[in-house]
Amino acid sequence: MPNSMGHSDWLVSDVSEGTRLNSWSPTESIQMTPTTLISVVNDTLGAVYESVEVVGEVASFKVNQGKWVFFDLKDESSSVPCFMTLWSLRQPLEDGMKVVVRGTPKLTQWGKFSFTVSAVQPVGEGSLKKAYELLKKKLTDEGLFDPAKKRGIPENLTKLGVISSTQAAGYADFIKIINARWGGMRVQVAHTQVQGMDAPDQIIKALRYFNEHGEVQMIAILRGGGSADDLACFNDEKLVREVAASKIPVISGIGHEVDESLVDLAADVRASTPSNAAEMLTHDRMTELLKVKKMMTGAYQSAMQNIETARMANHEKLKRVSHGLIAKYIDPKINEVRKNMTEALENIKRALKEQEKHVEQKTVMLEALNPEVVLRQGYAILSGKISPGSVVKITTYDSEIITLIQEILKRSKNG
Amino acid sequence: MGKQKKSLNEKIAELDKKVEWFYSDDFKLEAAVENYKNAAELAKEIEDDLKKLKNEIEVLAEDFSK
Repeated sequence: MPNSMGHSDWLVSDVSEGTRLNSWSPTESIQMTPTTLISVVNDTLGAVYESVEVVGEVASFKVNQGKWVFFDLKDESSSVPCFMTLWSLRQPLEDGMKVVVRGTPKLTQWGKFSFTVSAVQPVGEGSLKKAYELLKKKLTDEGLFDPAKKRGIPENLTKLGVISSTQAAGYADFIKIINARWGGMRVQVAHTQVQGMDAPDQIIKALRYFNEHGEVQMIAILRGGGSADDLACFNDEKLVREVAASKIPVISGIGHEVDESLVDLAADVRASTPSNAAEMLTHDRMTELLKVKKMMTGAYQSAMQNIETARMANHEKLKRVSHGLIAKYIDPKINEVRKNMTEALENIKRALKEQEKHVEQKTVMLEALNPEVVLRQGYAILSGKISPGSVVKITTYDSEIITLIQEILKRSKNG
Repeated sequence: MGKQKKSLNEKIAELDKKVEWFYSDDFKLEAAVENYKNAAELAKEIEDDLKKLKNEIEVLAEDFSK
């Protein structure tokens, strides 16, 4: 039945209840209430532009009641009013910054066009740098990057969590290097995006996963080199706070040597690249092999030195002991022998003296029998044939007498 | 529960301690041969591990995009 505006009631009724106008055709003229129109337009926009990314320059930026953010996104000829919650704003914004916003276009209940922003990220070197500096100052002032809070790499690292894109070259380099350098580690990999507006939330989820499961000793956030826009996700405030709050120590290996993200500053350890992170997290097999060999050589040399020292000490001890033994056992023997020898010599001397005395007596006796001695006493020696008429020689002490025997008389021997 | 397998780092730390004994005042001539033998066995084990051990890489099934 047609209503007062000449259209069927069911149509208005259905629309007001938010039902899709599947039967509606653009060529048909339809009547609806402002609420219905706005609802239809929003449904249509929502269906066609569920999520749109728009790049433009921020203007008229303001925060209302500490929770609503309003700004215009403009280019040379147009401007789009944007609305978002302060909670969704993950990087500082200022007028003049170039940003990419993601959101849904819609009409407000007052019929004004607005872009409801779910995410915003600065783009272009100047804006990125500005946002980076603003957030860095804010978080530094909060003490989020305090070096005193940094933890090192666990000494005995056997369980590692990795957050990266498994398709990224940086990730491949990392795995290649840790496998070449070291073994025996269990590596759990959380595959996430590492660039773009969705990356921060995915990395945050992965961080929370590792922290909740508590199976790894360290978390490595890895991403190879890229443009400033590619690496911008690592300056996301929520992600930076999550890294700083991680119960498990975090190492970052993001971009190249010259790139410095806020995640790098919040991490416990900063590696310049994913490859550098691999080197920092692992020892080198060859270096360790050499170290083990050196250790054993050192131990051997030390043992030998100790043995030599002990040998020398024992030698000295032995010397002292042997001196003691000589004094105790050998010296008395020597003294005894010496004493015995002396006694024996004395005996020999005495015996010799006796002998000498005896010989002396014999000599005296013999001396007494010496013809010369007899002659000196006045005796004479008669030599030759003792018969009358024989010529004989009489020898005295100092002369020899030749004489003729005239007569031989018998001598009385009684005295 | 069985004895937990020592990691490479733990083994190296243990060897370090064993070797340190040779430089320390605790060194005793009587124990030197036995201790050196033990250290050498551990060193051999570490060398084998260093040559053979591989890392275990597991990509989590969890979908972090949702």
